[in-house]
Amino acid sequence: MAESVLADHPPDTVTGFADLVRRHQSMVFSIALHFLADRSAAEELAQDVFLQLHANLPALKSEGHVTFWLRKVTAHRCIDYKRRRKLPQVSLEEVAEPSAPAPAWDPLFERKLRHVIASLPAKARLIVILRYQEDLGSEDIAEALSIPVATVKSHLRRSLALLREKLVRSMGEVTI
Amino acid sequence: MTHPDLNQIEKQLKNALRRQNAPADFAEQVLARLAAHNSIPQVRRDPRWSIFTQPLVRWTAISATATCLVIGGIHYRSLRRERAKGEAAKQQLMLALRIAGSKLQLAKAKVNEINATQTANRSRSEEE
Repeated sequence: MAESVLADHPPDTVTGFADLVRRHQSMVFSIALHFLADRSAAEELAQDVFLQLHANLPALKSEGHVTFWLRKVTAHRCIDYKRRRKLPQVSLEEVAEPSAPAPAWDPLFERKLRHVIASLPAKARLIVILRYQEDLGSEDIAEALSIPVATVKSHLRRSLALLREKLVRSMGEVTI
Repeated sequence: MTHPDLNQIEKQLKNALRRQNAPADFAEQVLARLAAHNSIPQVRRDPRWSIFTQPLVRWTAISATATCLVIGGIHYRSLRRERAKGEAAKQQLMLALRIAGSKLQLAKAKVNEINATQTANRSRSEEE
């Protein structure tokens, strides 16, 4: 099934490659956007990933392989981007306190949560993004980032504890 | 519930980190960049020079060239020094020859003068 998608729309043709980009653009763009928190930088990084994909097409045999490759390359490019540009790290103390209670879905609360995510160290942030945006298991994240599964698990545990602590601290006795 | 428990936080995380739509013309932008990238003529390297793309070979070639330049420079300097010495010796020889020539001229003039005086004396005594 996965192979047939590539076979039906050979990505070495312009329309085939455009289809391939459209199928995966939201995933690649969202990983970059959630990591960088900057739309134009995320767009540029995502475009770079697809240009690299085009150069590597002969080595990719199936849709699943393409998805895995795209996640891996996007993650590595995000880390590289941060290393090169030295993105300002937002400390937890700098995160603004919400003034109102957070209902089940609150854009302000969501913004705050994203801000707290942005305060995580790069690798931990990427792990959280792959876990909750892409719904990947620890093994898949470990494979995509080329790190041990135990490291992924400990990063996730620590990140969740940190996020919970910060949210509790900022919301007091507020129900979410 | 008074505090966000982990399940609640996980739900909120999934919600906050849901996929976002890429800009509407994203694929077209990628294709445009791809076309621009492919239209740039790639520099074709002569395969004979491709060996120099290997770092070890490249650095060996650079070192060999630098060594040759240094040795050549030293050799050229010693050649110039030898040539300068030769020029100085030639100048000295020329000066010595010039001095010797002028001394010979003086001696010849003296001899001529003595000869002339003697001839004049001899003819005067014959007349007397």
